[in-house]
Amino acid sequence: MTTSVNPLWRFRGVAGTAWFAMVYLYLPILILIVLSFNANKVATIWSGFSLQWYSVVLDNPNIMRAAKNSLIIASCATVVSTVFATLAALAMSGPTFRGQSVINAMLGLPLLAPEIVTAVASLLFFLAIGMELGLLSVLVAHVVFCIPFAYMPIRARLEGMDPRYKEAASDLYATPWATFWRITLPLLMPGVVSGAMLAFIISLDDFVITFFVAGAGATTLPVYIFGMIRMGITPEVNAISAMMLLVSILFVILSWLVGRVKQ
Amino acid sequence: MLSASVRRTGLLAPTVITLFVFMVLPMGLMAWMSFLEPGTYGGVQWGHYSAKSYIQFLYEWDLDDQLVLNTDYVGIFLRSFLLAGGATLATLLIGFPTALYIALKDEKARNRWILLISIPFWTNLLVRTFAWMLLLRNGGLAEQFLSSIGLVKEELNILYTPTAVAIGLVYSFLPFMILPIYTSLEKMDWKLVEAAFDLGANRWMAFRRVILPLAMPGIVAGCMLVLIPALGSYFIPELLGGGKSLMIGNLIQNQFGASRNWPFGAALSFALLTVVMVTMIAYNLRFKRAPGADK
Amino acid sequence: MQQRQVAIHIDQVSMCFGQGAEQVTALDSVSLDILENEFFTLLGPSGCGKTTLLRLIAGFEQPTSGHLQLYGQRLEGTLPFQRPINTVFQSYALFPHLTVAKNIAFGLEMQKKPQNEIDATVEEMLALVKLKGFANRRPHQLSGGQQQRVALARALANRPKVLLLDESLSALDLKLRKEMQVELKRLQRETGITFIFVTHDQEEALTMSDRIAVMSGGVVQQVGAPADIYDRPVNRFVADFIGETNFLNAVVVTDGFDLGKLGTLPYPVSKLGLGSKVTLALRPERLCFSEDGLPGVVENVVYMGTDTIYHISLQDQPGMHVRLQNDYGAQAAYQIGNSVKVGVLADSIRVLED
Repeated sequence: MTTSVNPLWRFRGVAGTAWFAMVYLYLPILILIVLSFNANKVATIWSGFSLQWYSVVLDNPNIMRAAKNSLIIASCATVVSTVFATLAALAMSGPTFRGQSVINAMLGLPLLAPEIVTAVASLLFFLAIGMELGLLSVLVAHVVFCIPFAYMPIRARLEGMDPRYKEAASDLYATPWATFWRITLPLLMPGVVSGAMLAFIISLDDFVITFFVAGAGATTLPVYIFGMIRMGITPEVNAISAMMLLVSILFVILSWLVGRVKQ
Repeated sequence: MLSASVRRTGLLAPTVITLFVFMVLPMGLMAWMSFLEPGTYGGVQWGHYSAKSYIQFLYEWDLDDQLVLNTDYVGIFLRSFLLAGGATLATLLIGFPTALYIALKDEKARNRWILLISIPFWTNLLVRTFAWMLLLRNGGLAEQFLSSIGLVKEELNILYTPTAVAIGLVYSFLPFMILPIYTSLEKMDWKLVEAAFDLGANRWMAFRRVILPLAMPGIVAGCMLVLIPALGSYFIPELLGGGKSLMIGNLIQNQFGASRNWPFGAALSFALLTVVMVTMIAYNLRFKRAPGADK
Repeated sequence: MQQRQVAIHIDQVSMCFGQGAEQVTALDSVSLDILENEFFTLLGPSGCGKTTLLRLIAGFEQPTSGHLQLYGQRLEGTLPFQRPINTVFQSYALFPHLTVAKNIAFGLEMQKKPQNEIDATVEEMLALVKLKGFANRRPHQLSGGQQQRVALARALANRPKVLLLDESLSALDLKLRKEMQVELKRLQRETGITFIFVTHDQEEALTMSDRIAVMSGGVVQQVGAPADIYDRPVNRFVADFIGETNFLNAVVVTDGFDLGKLGTLPYPVSKLGLGSKVTLALRPERLCFSEDGLPGVVENVVYMGTDTIYHISLQDQPGMHVRLQNDYGAQAAYQIGNSVKVGVLADSIRVLED
């Protein structure tokens, strides 16, 4: 629509609500970021600009360890879930077969089930099979819920791919194997990249499931922050929270720019 | 060359095995464990079956082992539905006009707005919930602002109440409502609305008779995307509601923490999952779509 | 004329899609010979089976029955990438992630040709389709006509024995289409490759082809040179589909055709059975107004620039169109409501036996 200037399309109250939504969404984020630079020891009273809480955060070995855990788990979960999801998407985009709807339902389950339910089920399962709660249990749980997120953009990309490209490659003497490496995979790449980015950020941000299945040694950043918040609102929490926000915002903008370049 | 079905099985195996072993089996195990006796210090007593966990939902045992009606848990379930339903309605009331506003912009502005709506969607929810604690707590920024314009005289006293939880839920899930509605509005043929105008409909009538019905799939999808996670939310009521077991999520977590009643926790989770699944199935039947992620 | 080799031999090919009650026959026992170095066109309305036939030749589908030969070699069981046949797709199917040069080189790379040969061929092809300087562009940076040329170059680079063109001009606007028609004809002459062209546009088919196969309902109705098809259609479908045609219902009598209330049209009917019912096909531009013609009334006059078309109503017969060339500055000769007589010369009548 290019008619936003056309008074015909001015529905009453719509613009006001939209701007209200924007303020509602961004006000808390902005305030958190501003307060993270606050020199005052009381988290919500402003008394001047300072970076001291960031250095406190960076000097805290527990936070650093949690951040390291988060990165290890997110990276591994991303690689594994993206590879699995890509293979599955390739199979699912072929001719229809029996049992396809069951597999679809399985792929939908981690998205549909409330996180707390998945968390409880995973915890009970790991305890029942006697698996030690630690980095591995967290990684397994993350791979499970990352698969559908990685799968969706890859599948959508495959779905939108003109079947003529494959036919054209075949017409131009490419064997099925050559067609896959030279045509299908390069064309699929934007989907794989956005699937991987989604999986990474979902894994990095997850709290509820990790909270349940992480043993003592596998605390991730969100779990650690949760513990800090429950101890009380401190400027240190502001700083680490602001850092997490900035990382995700940068990540989203980056993926948006990647998407734009690809077009 | 491998046959097509062998190749397909090979491609699907990693995903299907992972999801089956670590998602479907645990769900089944959870359902099974909800029918076991709780262990004294957490855990379960294997082989001791009972329906205790489900009876416990409505009754408790008094000192003489008599069943006495206990509405605490039902109350928590009801409050969860009220809060989640209210949040869904509020996100719809804010989200629909917002989506409409964005859909009516030109393409460049539309992409920018959608990016701005999506950013909170991908940023850490726990941290954003914490930001509301900064805003809402006594002596916090909301109180400072409201008292400076004379609306509040004393303390705000809003953090650690259901109101704070509602504000947090609406805030967290608003993008989930805006994005699907926007998608359905964006795909809409605006010539149809022009046709309605041409046939004498004013804006309100065009909205009600053309835009709203055509956006229905997006609205329903948005409502599902808000209602389901809101029902199961855990840390929003935990942080903004002050850890008073305001919603199902807190109650469930409590069974694995202080209360140490795993079967009851499993039963509560299973009940929540059932509610969600029934809602999803009803949605799929109504909108005739294949279940699952393949949309 | 020298005897030319048969490039593609199509023998009783049938093609069915679907199963049971929903089965659709796309091709019904089609037999055709397409000669070497020929510009051959498959012409017909959408759904007539022409694209299916093209896909069978390319190897994207296998026929339900019958067989195809390329220079005497059976094509059964060979896959598209094993056939020295290339296709220019309807929507071009240029690989969006590859440059123009890489697109053109693709087939040669797949055949593992040496790099210097590939480079030389790409250069040559770019020159052939007049796109020098576009080598490093991506397909989406090109106009529709340019994309069309790249698609042609990509297919021709492999020096295929047969080139298939699937409605390749339909995405272009009229002016560009006219240009590309001339261009295609030139490329076919210069390369000496057999072109099989699929179109639903009869004008396109008439202007470009050496021979045309008119198809309908999965069956080849007529094969012949453009003039054959236009002047001597074998049945009502072909007469109706190619150009504009007036049809008159007639009964054969001793000295000509009985047209009911319109009287008798003189014609040497010696070869036709007396009393048999026939359909007469008359081209509007072969008709005129004359004293001893069929009586009718002018119903409408349509001015077309070069010509004027008169719609004439006749008693007992469907209406007729008469097309007259406009002289410089001339007014329309007749107005609506005028009584006229339509002159029909015996050699402009095409008799279709029902």
